[in-house]
Amino acid sequence: MALEIYAYRCKKCGQLHYPFRMVCKKCGQNEVFEFDTVPLPKKGKLLTFTTVHNLPPDFNVAKLGLGMVELENGMRITGQLKIPHPKFGMAVAGEVEIVREAEYSKNYGMVFYPG
Amino acid sequence: MREVYVVGAGITSFTRLEYPLSEIAAYPAMLALKDAGLSKVDHVYVANMGAARLNHQSGLASAVVDTLSLTPAGAEVIENGPASGASAIKTGFLAVASGLHDVVLVTSAERLREVNNLEATDFVATLSHPLAEYIYGVTLPSLAAMFTRLYMQKYGVTERHLAMVAVKNHDNALLNFFAHLHEKITLEGILDSPEAMTNNPYVAEPLRFFDCCPVSDGGACVILASAEVAKKLKKPLVRLAGVGQATDSHCVHERAEPTDLLAVRGAAAQAFKMAGVTPGDVDVAELHDAFTILEIAESEEAGFFKKGQGHLALERGETRIGGKIPINTAGGLKARGHPTGATGVAQAHEIVLQLRGEAKKRQVKDARIGFTCNFGGFGNNVVCLVFKRED
Repeated sequence: MALEIYAYRCKKCGQLHYPFRMVCKKCGQNEVFEFDTVPLPKKGKLLTFTTVHNLPPDFNVAKLGLGMVELENGMRITGQLKIPHPKFGMAVAGEVEIVREAEYSKNYGMVFYPG
Repeated sequence: MREVYVVGAGITSFTRLEYPLSEIAAYPAMLALKDAGLSKVDHVYVANMGAARLNHQSGLASAVVDTLSLTPAGAEVIENGPASGASAIKTGFLAVASGLHDVVLVTSAERLREVNNLEATDFVATLSHPLAEYIYGVTLPSLAAMFTRLYMQKYGVTERHLAMVAVKNHDNALLNFFAHLHEKITLEGILDSPEAMTNNPYVAEPLRFFDCCPVSDGGACVILASAEVAKKLKKPLVRLAGVGQATDSHCVHERAEPTDLLAVRGAAAQAFKMAGVTPGDVDVAELHDAFTILEIAESEEAGFFKKGQGHLALERGETRIGGKIPINTAGGLKARGHPTGATGVAQAHEIVLQLRGEAKKRQVKDARIGFTCNFGGFGNNVVCLVFKRED
């Protein structure tokens, strides 16, 4: 089964949120759990990017690509990049993978490849 | 609301400090009490971000108030990320303005160098969104780098402009005894020479080593008092005339225009409105240049220059001491150093010196109105202050 990252859709006005919010940012709807989860699209274009050379101790790599991506439905996400030569606006495609591992925890997140 | 004056100021050296956190907060407080000529205060606020996690100390304010023998004055810690300092000043302002207290001591301390560089980076990175940013390895330099990349594309800012901010602030820090980095740098050494890549390697592309603030220990203090108290003390009258605070989305990617810093714009506008002045009236400003790009972006958002033109003003030398609006005369976070929780108070300390005419070699001539911008998270919680010389 393919792993997904979820957006939260307001049941009242349909506004999508990523990451999670307790109160809808558009209509102010604040009933408990009145959000549907919707998988985020995985294709999009690269908005901005960097290569980090000074990483927290959990990362056993010398450098890491990071970027912000505008997805097909217009929502945005921050993720890791496995792209040798990133360029503004290039097409990218994401996979949900382990992005950070500490002693007792594994974190899954979006990793983008050339699309 | 009552008027609030700054009656005392003190600061430690910003560097690696090998004494306990409570003393880092108490030492500048002692200097500020001497400066003001006071021995008692009604309340103590301590700005700090990492005591519990980095220094194994909680309830820091209780330790500080006792170290200063100020008991039974009330005391508490104010934590608001890197904006803790200005937040604590704002809280002190409210206490005096409301009439609850007459004299409030606002001190601050941070001891980041008790842990190693990578752990300090990780600690500061916990400011980012835990599930949508932090897990990916997002650090504050990486957020600033992605912001810089967009700024370069949109407004034509180059690595040379960023380096010019660093050179200016290092030059200013040479005139400040308390600054962390007393190191003359040149564009040639950090950008043009064949050794530049060794001298100045990338931290998060396109930001290099000399685009990022150092990891510092340090503390600073200001004492706030009502007009009645301030007029009895024989000190130049500096009034805290405006405070403003605004927030923005926690995740940077959610901002409609990712090159805007709306929290800076909002907080600065509030502070100017309350003080009844305009950005054009400001004689000296302290901006939160944790990364060189932020000095340029904040100088625009605060209203000193039009959006997208801050780097051009920098090129013309308008932000140097002697220029139209000198910025970061004490060296800024870039060279004075950035003990996170203490930075906002250190900024106020510098403005107080400037407005009193006590800034020695880095004095801005006839400075009467000063501005500070203390930037928390990556622009998600910003506090701005306006100070006025009144006599």
